[in-house]
Amino acid sequence: MIDSIFILLILSTFRMSLPLMFATCGGYFSEKSGVAQISLEAFLLVGAFTAASVSFFSGTLLLGYLAAGVMAALFGQIFCIFTLKLKAHSIIVGTALNLLVMGLIPIVSKSVFDSTGSTPSINADNVYYALPVTILIVTITAAFWLSNRTIWGLQMKFAGEKRLALESIGVNPIIRQWQAVTLCAFITGLGGAVLSTYLSSNYSPLMSAGRGFIALAALIFAGWSLRRALLVSLFFGFCEALQIQLQSNQLISSRIPAEFIQMIPYAATLLALIFLRAKNNPPAELR
Amino acid sequence: MKKAAPIIGLIVGIALACLLALFFRENPLHVLKVLLTSSYNSKFDFGLTLFYTTCLIFSGLAFSIPMKAGLFHIGAEGQIIFSAVVAAYLGHVLPFDTSFSILLLCVLTALAGFLAAYVIALLKLYRQAHEVVVAIMLNFILSAFATWFTINRLQNPNSQNPETHLIQPSFQFLNNDFLKVYFEQSAVSSFFLVAILFCIVLFILEQKTLWGLQIRAYGSNPLAARRLQISDFKILTISLGLAGVCSALVGLTEVLGNTFQFKIGFSPQYGFLGIAVALLARNNFLGIIASAFLMASLHKGASDLDLETKFLTRDFSLILQAIIIFSVASSYYFFNYRFKKKVKLD
Repeated sequence: MIDSIFILLILSTFRMSLPLMFATCGGYFSEKSGVAQISLEAFLLVGAFTAASVSFFSGTLLLGYLAAGVMAALFGQIFCIFTLKLKAHSIIVGTALNLLVMGLIPIVSKSVFDSTGSTPSINADNVYYALPVTILIVTITAAFWLSNRTIWGLQMKFAGEKRLALESIGVNPIIRQWQAVTLCAFITGLGGAVLSTYLSSNYSPLMSAGRGFIALAALIFAGWSLRRALLVSLFFGFCEALQIQLQSNQLISSRIPAEFIQMIPYAATLLALIFLRAKNNPPAELR
Repeated sequence: MKKAAPIIGLIVGIALACLLALFFRENPLHVLKVLLTSSYNSKFDFGLTLFYTTCLIFSGLAFSIPMKAGLFHIGAEGQIIFSAVVAAYLGHVLPFDTSFSILLLCVLTALAGFLAAYVIALLKLYRQAHEVVVAIMLNFILSAFATWFTINRLQNPNSQNPETHLIQPSFQFLNNDFLKVYFEQSAVSSFFLVAILFCIVLFILEQKTLWGLQIRAYGSNPLAARRLQISDFKILTISLGLAGVCSALVGLTEVLGNTFQFKIGFSPQYGFLGIAVALLARNNFLGIIASAFLMASLHKGASDLDLETKFLTRDFSLILQAIIIFSVASSYYFFNYRFKKKVKLD
């Protein structure tokens, strides 16, 4: 009995950390290139909605993932135009993008599906369980390779650390930032697709439930290091798994109110910020 | 010309939002008409607009005050909900003897808002935590707490909806205040005057006192401010604390002035609307009055779109805010650009 609970908990930890890991991975690129990114939430939502509706209409999940990434990258362009081209503050633009997506999705789903926000569920037979894990492994490998082994990665990091150095060798830091944010949106969109096609079988309103912000917290917490950030997001995934397990447990859910159990991931983030010494090592020109 | 930038940004934003309506098979002119006129249909509607204005002034201040110190305070939403629950609870349990208990209720609610905001300041001071992340997490935690408290401790037995008891009749003194009577029992109350007073007082405090100067100095250059021995502790306490009090006043406006109870989901994201209000006013405390009124009429219009059109829901209000924030935030770029060019030509 106890064994099976632990195995369930571990399995569900991996399941719940998938979208977080995608979002952390995406956020890493944007933050490292010196663009503060709080619209991870928006990219997750866009990805989730696009993946759910494209897989519903086409019947193939892979197409859904691809569409989610591309659509999120398109929304990333809005972010880029306003922060990089028009020089608005990234936090303000990020907040506005979050609002835009929260308002846009219900209206789109009303005119497409005639529903109040959720999409019809996709055919469960098509759900292919190894797909998201494969995509995650490919993404993480690619992310490590890109950021540590390529010239592009070095230049991307310098856009966040010292723009002047980049300009002096004739590379426009804005172009590197633009590419990094687009990549960030694409990867985070994939995470959204995991959310709506793997963790559940349809899109429901605001289903990202703050995961974008949790991913950002994981990144800040890990001192902007990708390896540590992925481990931290595994921990936050554990908190979410714990929350789900506790809620389904009769004995515990009758004693502790559901609202407190739902608080666990957010409270864990706050407690982690309070009790653990965060590595404070932000990119020098992060703004 | 530079001062007009936000207004032109606003106009462009409204135009863009109406064009967006084309995608959803709506007539943009009809949308524009609903947006612009629905606040003035009747006295009752206008009162509702003034009520939104009150809330938006306070939430705009809650974003704007920390902004002066260079802090992004997006935790107003959680503080609003938390303080509204506290106000509803106190209004239910406090013994009513004199007008003193009304004062006590207001002070305790403001204190609740202050404390909720102060958590952000403490974490930033002692743990160097990023204020945005802490604020967002607090938003989730505080609203979950409010939901639990409402359903399990204060649920109104006469209602199917998740809402609290009405506060005691003697606390409902604003039911017959002159603004409410004039606007045919609409949502507006004397808190509207309090809001305007707050803006004026804060404007004077900011311009004429040492604290205001220190906060502005800290906002424009924290390193220099530290050299001048302006303590981080003081600046964060004052700016975030005042922001928390402003958020609490939104809760009080709702509970003491409008519904006399706490309803889950009463706030149409006032905390985030406040960002648009503060941006539109270019962080000027007096400008917030005007920009809050503008945003309130747009919000009133957008929530009427639900009834007036087929495909647009009240979520259109969120889109409208987002587009306005985008266009206002980027309008500065165009005007700075133009200004520089002119200088070169001369």
